[in-house]
Amino acid sequence: MSPQVRILLWILIVFSLLGALFAGISTYDFVAHLDRQVHAITCAFVPGLAARDASGTSGCHAAMMSPYSSVLRTSTWGGIPISLPGLAVFAFLLAFALHLLLSGQPLERADTWFLLAATLLPVVVSAVYFAIAVTKVGAVCKLCIGIYVASLGVLVAAVLLHWRAVRPRGQGATWGRFLAYAVQGVAFVLVPVLLYLALKPAYPQAALAGCGSLLHPEDKYDVRIAVASRAGGIPAIEVMDPLCAACKGFTQRLSASGFEQQLELEVVLFPLDKECNWMVSESLHPGACAVSETILAAGPQAPAVLAWVFDHQEELRRLGDLGAAAVQARVKQEFPEIASNLGKPATKSRLNRSLRWVVSNSLPVLTPQLYVGGEKVCDEDTDLGLEYVLSRLLERRGTAGGGR
Amino acid sequence: MNPKLRQLVIAGVVLLVTSVLVGVWVGSAARRLAAAEDASSGVALASAADEGYCTGELKVILRRVLTSCGLVPGGSTRGCQPLQAKSVAAMSGGDFNALFAPLAERAAIIQFDQDSAELDLGALTLLDETFADQSGASYFLVVSRASPEGSVGYNRDLSRRRASAVLDHLQASFNDPDLEQEVGLLWLGEEFAQLDPEFCSWQRSRPVGLCSSAELNRSAFIAWIDCRL
Repeated sequence: MSPQVRILLWILIVFSLLGALFAGISTYDFVAHLDRQVHAITCAFVPGLAARDASGTSGCHAAMMSPYSSVLRTSTWGGIPISLPGLAVFAFLLAFALHLLLSGQPLERADTWFLLAATLLPVVVSAVYFAIAVTKVGAVCKLCIGIYVASLGVLVAAVLLHWRAVRPRGQGATWGRFLAYAVQGVAFVLVPVLLYLALKPAYPQAALAGCGSLLHPEDKYDVRIAVASRAGGIPAIEVMDPLCAACKGFTQRLSASGFEQQLELEVVLFPLDKECNWMVSESLHPGACAVSETILAAGPQAPAVLAWVFDHQEELRRLGDLGAAAVQARVKQEFPEIASNLGKPATKSRLNRSLRWVVSNSLPVLTPQLYVGGEKVCDEDTDLGLEYVLSRLLERRGTAGGGR
Repeated sequence: MNPKLRQLVIAGVVLLVTSVLVGVWVGSAARRLAAAEDASSGVALASAADEGYCTGELKVILRRVLTSCGLVPGGSTRGCQPLQAKSVAAMSGGDFNALFAPLAERAAIIQFDQDSAELDLGALTLLDETFADQSGASYFLVVSRASPEGSVGYNRDLSRRRASAVLDHLQASFNDPDLEQEVGLLWLGEEFAQLDPEFCSWQRSRPVGLCSSAELNRSAFIAWIDCRL
């Protein structure tokens, strides 16, 4: 084996290790959430050096909580994290590179053809996920970038190794070796995935019965905002704070899940801002009262204003720190036609009624919350388990005869 | 070592390490879940406001007044006349007014012309602003009075009309389905718990001009009560 090939194999090993490290951390963070609790997650190019994200505002959090972070989400709670097979593939590449290195023999094309195919897989998946991150999630996570770089690194190393490899001794031996490697590769993916499925905690069936129900679901205060009216859809209510990042993430997850199409979805504004909400002693989202008042003042335009608020949530949160006037000035600039309704007693009163609707139903003081057919979706099921629970809730409502 | 065997050993070791890591992570999450299922969430539930000034004594009197004057479900009538108010409050006029002292920031005095129950522009604006600032309060008290010109009976009726004018405006301006359960009227005429000039410093619909006892009591005192009963 030439020194150049040896160096290239070391490069392959380093990038495989890097890929396994980033995919492993990503898997670890995902798996930690199987306990249905909230955890800080790692989001750094050098894991361990930067503080973990506990606020849920990082790109890694957005990516992990998006419906694209795992597959088979309606079959098993949370689904299978896509980073888990990623970890397995990098582990396989590591083992394969070690095997080639320790053999000490000149590389043959039979080995490097397979290496090319195997390293192409993470590159293709990385390209697809990068496109999803940019176009669907709207955030690129640092761990994912680490995986993308590692994927490119192993592919480049594989191409250079292939260039330096010698021709195979015989065609029959090539295919046989290729098949053996492929079987190993599949085993590397299947074993951890099956182990994950076998060990992951079972979904507590009691939670499917919901986590409470609305005491007074009727909209006597006329405060609910219809955001998705599907004929024949099952009535659903989302209780949210327009400046809460988790609410924005939840709304996006619900939309991306596809289940929103089966719901007649309304929104109740519940700003966690002490300016108008007497139930909080500190403002979790300063400016949320001013934004909520603006949304309620918008009348039929309310869904459009809400969508705009989500698109400009970070900017509005920054303005919220300066005061309600700064927030409302920004919204007025965007929607001048609703400016005349702001500050009016009737508008303020409507926001107050929105809070009183929450009081009349004795809801927990937190956001977001989702009620489907009057039943509360458990808070623990509003992120990774959303598709699993919604699919069952909707199926049950459908079987029960019609959903309304 | 046989190359094939070496390859299997390397692959086996790496696969084992990967699998053990996954197993440990998932197992750890499962144990935490089992532990968490026994713990309660501890999240507060939404409720109406219950401010610090809502002492036990105040609540007892409020309950009596509100029940007798038609606010609390089960009450028989809407509105208390002076003698009723005096008896249900079971206290002197001064003590009755002192009950409202902690409400200085939440109350307003809607002033009327002599022998009139008509709300002027300043009164309407202040009434709307005060009512819209409900926050977490459960009850809105309207305590109307009259200055001593005229007979006791006439002033009793005049103060009743002033309280009604306030309620009528709220019904017309705020389409609030809870109005019946949250707005309580007490009309005191000239007989009970008259406002003394100390209240001139409170928010009034006519903040400029004279503020004698007569002007002050041609009024409806309005306030949100941030107490849960």
